Amino acid sequence: MDRMDRDVVVPGDLVSDDPQKAGEGTYVKDGKVYSLLYGLASSYKDGVRVIPLAGKYVPSVGDTVIGVVDDIVFSNWIINVNSPYGGLLHISEYPKKIDMNEMSKYLRIGSSIMAKVKDVDSTMKVELTLNDRRLGMLKRGRVVEISPTRVPRLIGKGGSMINMLKTELNCNIFVGQNGRIWVDGNDRDMDLALKTILIIEKEAHTTGLTDRISEFLKTEKVARS
Amino acid sequence: MRPIKIEVGVLARADGSCYMEMGNNKVIAAVYGPREVHPRHLQDVTRAIVRFRYNMASFSVEDRKRPGPDRRSHEVSKVSRDSLAPVILTSYFPRSVVDIFVEVLQADAGTRTVGINAASVALADAGIPMTSLISACAAGKAGGHIVLDPMKQEDNFGEADMPLAMTPNGEITLLQMDGDFTVDEFQEALELAKDGCQQVYEIQRKALTDRYSQMKEGDLCGDANPVEEAQAYE
Amino acid sequence: MSNGVISDIRKDYLYQLMLKGERADGRSFNEYREISLKQGIIKKAEGSTCVKLGNTQVIVGVKIQPGEPYPDTPNRGVIITNAELVPLASPKFEPGPPNEVGIELARVVDRGVRESGSIDLDALCITPGEKVWIIFIDIHILDDCGNIMDAASLGAISALMTAIVPAEQYGLGEDYPLPVKDIPIATSAVVLDEGIMFDPDTDEESVADTKLTVITTADGRICGMQKSGTGFLDQDQIYRIVDISCETANGIREKFLEV
Repeated sequence: MDRMDRDVVVPGDLVSDDPQKAGEGTYVKDGKVYSLLYGLASSYKDGVRVIPLAGKYVPSVGDTVIGVVDDIVFSNWIINVNSPYGGLLHISEYPKKIDMNEMSKYLRIGSSIMAKVKDVDSTMKVELTLNDRRLGMLKRGRVVEISPTRVPRLIGKGGSMINMLKTELNCNIFVGQNGRIWVDGNDRDMDLALKTILIIEKEAHTTGLTDRISEFLKTEKVARS
Repeated sequence: MRPIKIEVGVLARADGSCYMEMGNNKVIAAVYGPREVHPRHLQDVTRAIVRFRYNMASFSVEDRKRPGPDRRSHEVSKVSRDSLAPVILTSYFPRSVVDIFVEVLQADAGTRTVGINAASVALADAGIPMTSLISACAAGKAGGHIVLDPMKQEDNFGEADMPLAMTPNGEITLLQMDGDFTVDEFQEALELAKDGCQQVYEIQRKALTDRYSQMKEGDLCGDANPVEEAQAYE
Repeated sequence: MSNGVISDIRKDYLYQLMLKGERADGRSFNEYREISLKQGIIKKAEGSTCVKLGNTQVIVGVKIQPGEPYPDTPNRGVIITNAELVPLASPKFEPGPPNEVGIELARVVDRGVRESGSIDLDALCITPGEKVWIIFIDIHILDDCGNIMDAASLGAISALMTAIVPAEQYGLGEDYPLPVKDIPIATSAVVLDEGIMFDPDTDEESVADTKLTVITTADGRICGMQKSGTGFLDQDQIYRIVDISCETANGIREKFLEV
């Protein structure tokens, strides 16, 4: 027996009789697969997984995230990445060679950055880096926070949703894996972008969302002109 | 069993929350976490710690209660934490804390079981990984009869009170008793309470699933790469 | 939501909006978020109200019990106001007895109730010198999304207005509604440079460094004020805030509390 696709499940619900099919968000006990989370049970080619409806962001190597500088301690900027775990940005991971006493000149408490997760150890010590052309301090634009569990939906299959947004909204949009999204454009376009992102967050679990959003944007733009 | 009302996700700031009424009990539970532990020396490098704080509002009882914890609330906090911790996958979040808060807004016997029930839903609402929900209920003895979910009157003049919490599979995580039972009476009370817990479980589960009742071909997963390893339980 | 430092980007955005006379949620500077009151929700309390102000939620319970008067006012009733900023309401609240923020909130709400003369303390005497009615106003914050002060104050007067003195259970005659002679309403505004914004939300409170709360009565008298925060206020700003406060308070009073 497999859970019907997209059933809402709670922790402890049976999702499969076949332990081989245990995917993310599940656990195996006595030869059966159960949900660990409050979420949607989803079957794919080789298994069943549970997609969470809520939950915190847990940093993973390779993720790109948007962070805010919380503190500067010796040679590290302490970065808030909207997670139970803070990120450490070491002075050597800044794209330019700078001195320890100049650190706040470049990134001060309250500065926002787009960074990459370089390493995560077993005690969840998270190291970030800015050593990449596309990374760095965010000087303009706005940042909005959504639940990190909705990020995959905001991106869409093969980037379908996010690409549609970038084109229709005429904004630069960057989606951090940690649920923070940066948009840059003119004021009105940014207003619409933020409004749209929040609608997507709210309706992430429903059908036909990409089409509905596309319609919504077309209507909004007509209303404007 | 007294009538139950559950509302999920009633607070904006908390990560997960649940408002619950059971008879005249009115309780609100909230979960913050996993989050950073303060003070740092409490952290465990291998797993999340679980904290539970049960508190009664001054206006929740007949005679206005002085604010702040007393010995009873400390005990309730401890047994409540012990009733939920066994199902929480704390190893997923080293060096962090899952904070559970229960505020009793109106009390009428059995607040600790209502608190645990609401907390269990709040934990799910916060996305905390658990092996199952926990459901709690009390049985007691009044006028020589074994009763389920004793109300205040029955509790004060009753001869025994036994709160119980368990997983839907019958694994018991809270058991307390005070009063006077024969072994037979105890067994009867236990069966009755277990039955009550099952009823509570159904209500908790329904409250959570109803919240997202518009479930169709939804595409929440988008482009995420499914991780195909089996996740063995502990 | 992160509970750490507020980002420069966010601060700049709020400032830019302020210069245009706008706010992040689209409200005007004097506009309050949606208010809803649920009275009488706590049956064990003699009076109670749950206030929703935007997403901020506060419950105030009023308990009335006989007790001893203060030695220096042997024939007057007693009002005791307390606020519990419980940790479930905000990641910033820690468990423990009220800290300076909680104490300040309770004292300001108390000031409004007391100085407006809303409760006639002389009428609360049972046996002169021995027994008087004690009124406990217990504020329980449930969700801090900004401006818990105004929500608490509104909850307090609403709970008092619906409170019943429980004379019967103490053999002191029939139960009767607590006589309330005025309706004090607190209105708070934060100052962000030249912008004065009423009913601040969480971000606005974090970014502003000054707040002024003004408590006014039904006939437009001022019965309480409190400036908090580390910034400056000039006279003009104060007068403007007082003017708007009176008007706003009247609006709230008419809409929600007047019979």
